[in-house]
Amino acid sequence: MKTVLEARQVSKIFGGLVAVNKVDLVVPEGSIASIIGPNGAGKTTLFNCISGFYTPELGDVLFNGRKIQGMLTDKVAAMGIARTYQNIRLFKNMSAVENVMVGFEPRLKHGWMKAMLKTPDYQKEQKHIINEASRLLHYVGLAGLGDNLALNLPYGAQRRLEIARALANQPTLLLLDEPTAGMNPQETDAMKDFIRQIRDDLGITIILIEHDMRVVMNISDQISVLDYGQKIAEGNPKEIQANPRVIEAYLGPGAAALSEKYRREKLHDA
Amino acid sequence: MEATRKKKPLTLPQNSIRIIRIIAALLLLALIIVRAMDVAAKSQFGADTWLRLSVSGLIIGGMYALIAIGYTLVYGILFMINFAHGEVMMIGTFGGYFVFEAFNAIQVSGVDGSQLSFLNAYPVIAILLAFLAGMLIAALSGLFLEKFAYRPLRGAPRLVPLISAIGASIFLQNAGQLLFGPQRRQYINPVVLDRGIGWNLEVAGSTVVLTYTGIFSLILSAILMVGLYLLVQRTKLGRAMRAVAQDKKTAALMGINVDQIISRTFVISGALAGAAGVMWGIHNGLFNYYVGFLPGIKAFTAAVLGGIGNIPGAMLGGMVLGIVESVGPAVLGIDFQLKDVLAFTILILVLIFRPSGILGEALTEEKV
Amino acid sequence: MNKQSIQKSAASGMVFGVIVIFFALIGFTVVFSGLIQKALGQSLGVGQIPSTSSLLIFLGLLGIWNGWRASRQDKHETLNTKKVLGRSVIAGLVAGVLVMAYALIVGALDNRGINLRTYLSQLSSESIKFFLFNQTIVVGGLIHVFYSTLMAVMGGLLALASERSRERVKSTRESIQKWSQDRWLGKLRGNPYVSYVLMGVVLLLLVLLPRTWGAYWNYVMGTVGIYVLLGLGLNIIVGFSGQLVLGYVAFFAIGAYTFALTTAPEPHNLVWNFWVALGAAVLAAALSGILIGLPIMRLRGDYLAIVTLGFGEIIRILLKSDILKDFTMGPRGVRNIAGPTLFGQSFTSDVDFMYLIILAVLLSIFLARRWQESSIGRAWLAISQDETVAQATGVNTQKYKLLALSLGAAFAGLGGALFASRNQFTGPEDHALMVSINVLVLVIVGGMGSIPGVILGAFTLKGLPEILRELENYRLLVFGALLVVMMIIRPEGLWPARRPKLEMPVGQENEPVPLPATTGGEK
Repeated sequence: MKTVLEARQVSKIFGGLVAVNKVDLVVPEGSIASIIGPNGAGKTTLFNCISGFYTPELGDVLFNGRKIQGMLTDKVAAMGIARTYQNIRLFKNMSAVENVMVGFEPRLKHGWMKAMLKTPDYQKEQKHIINEASRLLHYVGLAGLGDNLALNLPYGAQRRLEIARALANQPTLLLLDEPTAGMNPQETDAMKDFIRQIRDDLGITIILIEHDMRVVMNISDQISVLDYGQKIAEGNPKEIQANPRVIEAYLGPGAAALSEKYRREKLHDA
Repeated sequence: MEATRKKKPLTLPQNSIRIIRIIAALLLLALIIVRAMDVAAKSQFGADTWLRLSVSGLIIGGMYALIAIGYTLVYGILFMINFAHGEVMMIGTFGGYFVFEAFNAIQVSGVDGSQLSFLNAYPVIAILLAFLAGMLIAALSGLFLEKFAYRPLRGAPRLVPLISAIGASIFLQNAGQLLFGPQRRQYINPVVLDRGIGWNLEVAGSTVVLTYTGIFSLILSAILMVGLYLLVQRTKLGRAMRAVAQDKKTAALMGINVDQIISRTFVISGALAGAAGVMWGIHNGLFNYYVGFLPGIKAFTAAVLGGIGNIPGAMLGGMVLGIVESVGPAVLGIDFQLKDVLAFTILILVLIFRPSGILGEALTEEKV
Repeated sequence: MNKQSIQKSAASGMVFGVIVIFFALIGFTVVFSGLIQKALGQSLGVGQIPSTSSLLIFLGLLGIWNGWRASRQDKHETLNTKKVLGRSVIAGLVAGVLVMAYALIVGALDNRGINLRTYLSQLSSESIKFFLFNQTIVVGGLIHVFYSTLMAVMGGLLALASERSRERVKSTRESIQKWSQDRWLGKLRGNPYVSYVLMGVVLLLLVLLPRTWGAYWNYVMGTVGIYVLLGLGLNIIVGFSGQLVLGYVAFFAIGAYTFALTTAPEPHNLVWNFWVALGAAVLAAALSGILIGLPIMRLRGDYLAIVTLGFGEIIRILLKSDILKDFTMGPRGVRNIAGPTLFGQSFTSDVDFMYLIILAVLLSIFLARRWQESSIGRAWLAISQDETVAQATGVNTQKYKLLALSLGAAFAGLGGALFASRNQFTGPEDHALMVSINVLVLVIVGGMGSIPGVILGAFTLKGLPEILRELENYRLLVFGALLVVMMIIRPEGLWPARRPKLEMPVGQENEPVPLPATTGGEK
């Protein structure tokens, strides 16, 4: 199984605070990997190290075997890693279709010089891009909304637009930061299925930061748990659900024993 | 998968940029040292000149420091540059001027029956009131500035309050010109604090004058700086200011009235600038509506030099800039006309090579 | 009336009182009253004090506005006569009392023979008496109180009337809009020939007007044209790519001086062809854009602004100083700069130069529009909206920011060269900070990132002052206030930028969703 992303002993330090502490992560091609953990555990910081926003003080980030830590974020995007953000960061005053079109930037064959002169090659490519962007909007379920300004779209649509923009990069690795935050159960369900569909249709490897356990347990191939910047557990959903350290990380010390006690009582009553 | 086709690189990879920066910085340093050695070898300037320049640098550095603190306070709390801060200083200068003028006009009989102006009869009161007036009216200007030009724009994209600040600066400068006319005015100091006289030192064969006005300004600057530092570190208001600067939302949740703290910050920064303005008038004499422009930019340079958002940094930056500005042209052997160019150049160099300043922490990378 | 309502009305009154006093102190009252008098057809000599009636009109307008604002304190309430009367009376009284206090003080001092002009340059004795309606100070003061209250009440009643009729007005407006839409506007908009006809008319005007309106207007409009050029250039930098640059005049200077030094006999005795020199000026400016841009790429908004301000000032100081005198002619400036020549024939007449400027402007509009609508414009817009995310989405921000700086600088260089050529002279005083501020104001007021906005801005901010000559002294004051006010009420400018409609329909409702193209492993 080919490894798309590997993080080796990645550490990120801010002044005196160690936000990410020697985290290892291996993500196989075509899988959906989730990163979970209580708030402040360092999940988004890890994402930022992977996507190039931060440069880790220690450790390496390898993408398809190549070291990419410290690379400029536009180069990272060009290599095939795209992401979405915890609090949606769209280009608010641009239309939805234009937001998506920006994502095609790394693969433009006819760049700024030809754009300035408006050569026929360039014009053809632009038409193609508009078409592709419309297709992407259709794919994420926003058909017909392309000419609306991004800030006018409803919340759920904005989240999907962000994904469309990320897909425009034609990534092989997609990083989704809390894609279901703020959604009601139906929307969450739809998003969960959509994430799985992206992987199935397009073969994209996905790393997910999520708080909603229904989503995590349902679609993840592997789950890594962070707490206080360190990885405290890793495994498939069943293993993680039973892991006492994970329970304690979320619910506090002593919770594991308590939850085991309730589990036994339930079995006893059943 | 090859996602990019090879493009003509218009950018250099990050490591090369870092290397270029280091080389450029070293080259610059080498240039400066060579020049300085050259000048020293020629020894055009005697020890008396150096002393004179250093002292005048310290004095003006104190004023820059006071104004710089104002910039840094506002930046720490609102993350914006108060472009109109130089004009607040100008308002302070005018305030002090009018007090002196008024007191000069009132005649009082002196102890020996002669006619004296109030200014000279009770100089201490006059000076005190002049500073109070200057500081008060500058503080009020800061308050209204925040209330009308900045507060409505809280939360707008960064460019917007910046432009408003520029507009406010232009407005205030021109209001000054229209109200008081373009002509330069002269501060009438009480005789006790007359310009140009002071303690005479004999150095290297000529006289260096440590002017009374200069010493006075320096001491007062120091007192105000210490006072401010104590206020920020020891008082409840200072704690609240620091809290709001760190995290507005949490401070609000803790019961701090964020709007009020912001207003008070502007009041304090205005008062300091006003004091600097009155000092400027007392020490330098001539001024008009334009007097705040250059000191404003230079004080901003000082704040950045010391580390924007860092109060001791602003103080340090102010003093350093004052001295460098005074002594620098002599060291580098260039024309004193280019004093301002030197200050601007320092600004540009600091922002390129060390934007966090001398005392600042490296600016945290943007949180995503 | 509750306490809060009283406080708000009083506050409104105080604000207006201060405004009236401020206007009096800066002499605006006198000047504007004079304007009113002239607008009413009466003549007024230079330096003559206007009539009392024009003063009353000026104060009346302010008073009505005071009452209007004081009455409308809350968007969601309905007004009634009692509320309106109470609020406007309070506002008017407060304002009036403040103004009376001011008038009494100033009048009394004047009566004592004290010359206030040494401190407040606009307070001549005549202007003070004028402000007191040429009455004694007590009577004059009381008139202010009474009149202010009266006008405030009128303003309040107007607010009441406007609110009561708001529904009617709105429905009338809507029906008129619908009617005109049905009848002729809708047809006009749909008709493609209309835009061609309009363009034809504009072109016709552009050809005929320079020949007919005389040298003065050619000069004024030529300056407006050059400012349109500058505005378009700064718009690329500030509006399209979101980098606030305060030292734009630096590029203008580089263009002007490059052109000057390559066509004037002194100091270098380079007498190049006009067009070659023009090209050199544009190129020099564009290169300087890149050179200045490279070191400052990392800087954020506020820092970028101040650093560019510093650059602009450095260049001006250097040009003015004696140090580079041998290279740039120092404070005296460069003289005998060439005018345009075509195939050996010089055409420096004002009409010909106007045509040249018009051509340059049209070309610039064309290019700017093209770039704005291209992928470059999209990248710029993304950078100005959220630079960090734009970069993470794959936009090479450094490349595009430098491109914007370079192109914007090129426009300024062109403007500078044309400016120098037209005046046949340029000196350090042409390149002061004021030019940067003028261009910035017109871009922002017109509309950041909007090409029609910039053109509108240039006409308003350069053309209007020519017409309203008397208000020249207050121009900068108005600019400053305008910047602040625009940011608060309409940051997108008078004519905001608008993005084109792009989406293409994809497939039909019942067709399977087409997959986007990918490079990932196909399943």
